Amino acid sequence: MFRKGFFYILMGLVAVAMFLSAAQVMGQEDEDYPQEPIIFTKPVKAVIFDHKYHIEQGLDCDSCHDDPFEMAAGTAEQNDDFNMKSLYQGKYCGTCHDGESAFASNTRCTLCHIGVKGYDKMMGTSEKGHGEH
Amino acid sequence: MKEQRSTKPDYVTDEERRAFLKLGLKITGVMAGGTVLSLMPLSEQEAGAVLKLEGYENTKYKPHYCMVIRQNDCVDCEKCKEACIKTNHVPEYGFRTTILEKTATDDDGNTFPVFMPVLCNHCLNPPCVRVCPTKATTKDPKTGIVVMHVEKCIGCKTCMAACPYNARYYNEEKKAIDKCNFCWDTRLSKGEKLTACAAACPAHVRVFGDLSDRNSEVWKLIHQPNKAVWVLRPETGAKPCIFYMND
Repeated sequence: MFRKGFFYILMGLVAVAMFLSAAQVMGQEDEDYPQEPIIFTKPVKAVIFDHKYHIEQGLDCDSCHDDPFEMAAGTAEQNDDFNMKSLYQGKYCGTCHDGESAFASNTRCTLCHIGVKGYDKMMGTSEKGHGEH
Repeated sequence: MKEQRSTKPDYVTDEERRAFLKLGLKITGVMAGGTVLSLMPLSEQEAGAVLKLEGYENTKYKPHYCMVIRQNDCVDCEKCKEACIKTNHVPEYGFRTTILEKTATDDDGNTFPVFMPVLCNHCLNPPCVRVCPTKATTKDPKTGIVVMHVEKCIGCKTCMAACPYNARYYNEEKKAIDKCNFCWDTRLSKGEKLTACAAACPAHVRVFGDLSDRNSEVWKLIHQPNKAVWVLRPETGAKPCIFYMND
């Protein structure tokens, strides 16, 4: 009895392992990047970055990771130089958004800067009420 | 009744149109539901001529405080709003300044938001001052700032109805109307050069200064050749002193 039970458990584990590895391979091909947009809230609220849109432009993970951006979301925001001035100097988003590879960082501000209003919409929180008249 | 002004929002009087054409100015568009009149001066002289014609030059105010808003640089970070709330103790249910939003589409079909900071326009011809039954709101004879005298306000809200810019709210704590006064009591009278909102703006959207000074940044900004400058709701005849342009 003991041996038979052990065999079934072993087979079960093998099946689970195969399923997991298959899922991982499929994931790498298709969706191995955050599906939801990244929302930056520092130094200003708020800036949107959509992985999907940038993948569709023909970029892959290596294009931006780990340089100019670390994989872990929120890392760039910790830096004091994560601001427009750095972008104009070719750092962070400015690596591509220089007017040649992609639109320059000092143009089309609100394509990325969605503002407090954009942030509230994304988070599903409504604007604080004020005196309507 | 025949003389009554049209309430049509896209109304530009023939008189106004003729005056502009005479000066060689292009009316570049009546935008945002007709509440914005945009003018494109061809030279500094012409820009000056329009402002003169409209009564913005040689006013009695010195300094003549005004604000130029470089609209397309506004990203709605609302640091201006935060600074205003903190500086002027604005309660949650009201505002002295806020940011409006509309959606625009670029040539490639991408939609993007356009953010428009709004505040009291400190009009040359303020409708709120005209309607106040107790003279609780006046236009300061020195600076042109439209100020509140809280102790005289009876809270009738007539000024709120008269304001074309929704720039006033009833403050429950003060039991009076509250509004933007270009931070006169909280900053300017204490020697600060900028309003809290202008000082807090990280993108230099809100440029505050003296329209009577030809060397001021505000004067220079609105006297650039081939640069459209507009004001909100010119049809009311209030002669607002908040000027809008793109950078």
